[in-house]
Amino acid sequence: MSWLKRFAPSSLGGQIAVLIAVALLIAQLINFAIIFQGRRAVRLQSVVQPAVTRVIDAEERIASGRFRPGPRGRVRLEPADPIPANALREADVERAMRAELADLGIGARRIETQLRPVARDDARLRNLPPRQARRLRRAGWEIVIAIERPQGNWLVLTSFWPRGDGPLIATLLLQTLILYLALLLPLLWATRRISGPLRSLAGAARRFQPGDAEPPLEERGPYDVRALIAAFNQLRARVGAMLEEKDRMLGAIGHDLRTPLAALRVRIESVDDEADRAKMAETIDEMSKTLDDILSLARLGRSSEAVVAADLGALVEAVVDDFQALGADVAFADAPRVTLRLRPALMRRALRNLIDNAVKYGGRAEVSIVARPAEVAIVIVDGGPGIPEDRIEQVFDPFVRIEGSRNRETGGAGLGLALARAIVREAGGDIGLANRAEGGLEATVLLPRR
Amino acid sequence: MADLPHLLLVDDERSIREPLAHFLAKQGFRITQAGDADQARQRLAAYAIDLVILDIMMPGEDGLSLTRHIRATSELPVILLTAKSEETDRIVGLEMGADDYVVKPFSPRELATRAKVVLRRMAAGGARLHPPEAHAYGFAGWVLKTGERVLIDREGVSVALSTGEYNLLLALVQRPRQVLTRDQLLDLTQGREAGPFDRAIDNQVSRLRRKIEPDPKAPEIIKTVWGGGYTLACEVTKL
Repeated sequence: MSWLKRFAPSSLGGQIAVLIAVALLIAQLINFAIIFQGRRAVRLQSVVQPAVTRVIDAEERIASGRFRPGPRGRVRLEPADPIPANALREADVERAMRAELADLGIGARRIETQLRPVARDDARLRNLPPRQARRLRRAGWEIVIAIERPQGNWLVLTSFWPRGDGPLIATLLLQTLILYLALLLPLLWATRRISGPLRSLAGAARRFQPGDAEPPLEERGPYDVRALIAAFNQLRARVGAMLEEKDRMLGAIGHDLRTPLAALRVRIESVDDEADRAKMAETIDEMSKTLDDILSLARLGRSSEAVVAADLGALVEAVVDDFQALGADVAFADAPRVTLRLRPALMRRALRNLIDNAVKYGGRAEVSIVARPAEVAIVIVDGGPGIPEDRIEQVFDPFVRIEGSRNRETGGAGLGLALARAIVREAGGDIGLANRAEGGLEATVLLPRR
Repeated sequence: MADLPHLLLVDDERSIREPLAHFLAKQGFRITQAGDADQARQRLAAYAIDLVILDIMMPGEDGLSLTRHIRATSELPVILLTAKSEETDRIVGLEMGADDYVVKPFSPRELATRAKVVLRRMAAGGARLHPPEAHAYGFAGWVLKTGERVLIDREGVSVALSTGEYNLLLALVQRPRQVLTRDQLLDLTQGREAGPFDRAIDNQVSRLRRKIEPDPKAPEIIKTVWGGGYTLACEVTKL
């Protein structure tokens, strides 16, 4: 059945059209057979009944001595079987004749038939209406019926044999064609009415981005399809409402956690031990930063920041500059001007997290930009020990930190890289990490140039 | 008591407001507290307040609305207490005309320092860092947006600025064709950054020039005044 699958149309409209066409063909073939059968029965009767009458008539005449035999008569007597052995016989007629004659008690030893074309100069044609004669001359057939009488001689009669199957087939073909057209055209229209809305529904489902304020899909097509579209619209609205609820909840959580943190931050000023106070402040800052990262990660994809054309070189430099202002060992190789469409604040956040990571775990960061025709790579190299090869992928998972090579005291919930990657992926790019042969970890941010 | 600067501290959270008031009082301020915008208006009418420290997120009338009210009726300086505003660095309060902001959870020491900077600037008759009416400045084909803190070029491409560069450029475009000494620039840009401020202004100017000058070697926009400092040598339009 695989070949069928390959050639069968895959669309709804195509499948229904093919199905209907095949069903119609089968129905028409059955019709053909029935009509053909009927025609044959009628033809049989139209030949056999007059032939029987003529045989009765001939027998009566023979019995009363009034039979005038002769080759030109319509019924003649022949001494021997006039039908050649290789004749085209018509068994139905033979059978029907035998049955009729037996019913009437007329004796017959053998009954034979021959179908043959009408001779062009047949005398009988002259007595027919000219149109019928013309048709018979062109394509007429006659049937010769020979009956062997008990006396041993043969009673032979000839009559026209209506073949007429050609016009019948042509009529039936035309009829089928008309049926096809009359059915398939409205069918195609109807399936289009169904498949059009279904296609736009599929498109809307594919495009569906939670948070996008798309207007509800127009409900069109037949009832079932309209109900489906309505259900989709409701689903979309529910998902949107849930996400909005999530945002509200996250906002509330953020506020509710930030307030006690802020209060705590104020209160630790009453701690007299300077070192203690500094540690407390550091912990509170860390908690606050983690909270920000969690909220950002949860909200990503529903960013309120617009995508704008931005100078990537200036953006990277600004981030590096802010690190340098805080005294971090971050270097930036001067880069060519590259304009990309992105969300600047989010991208700064991602780069900040990556550079922060490099500084925290690798002591320093060297940042450079490589502009290629299809993409831009921002490469951040640190001076640390790197990461075991088999754990590189793991560091992107939220809340994962590589123990051993990384110092727990430096803090962070391990969200920085997860957030950075989520931001870069949202922008259509990706982040890769690799240990360098000469030491240090190399983080590469690839951004497509659309 | 009378010569201590009088601060109005507006925050609906008592857990923050009260210890903060206590801390600031020890730092040499006179503190009046208010729990919401209505109380704040009453206190503003009743006392000669020198500086308002205002929480943005408050039930009822929020801090931004109150900032707008204060700015519409007086020159009173305002420092906002903000939650980090989502993923953008957008500080709406500065558009409203606040003089400064700190992000929660903030260091009370830093808040005290910034309050002193703002008060000193006001006492010196200096213009406020963020005049409220301008949301964007146009100069030499560039647009500096104060809300998003972003620089836009002729083609609409946004050019990111570091915090230091932004503050420096803002100080310059707010005073076009004025010669600003390094000390003045340091003072104008100070108080915005948490880190050390001993970095040379020249360094930042050269970075800025690389970003905005057609030819950084022969600067046309930010010009060096020998023996003086720097000046923005072009017309600035408030947008």
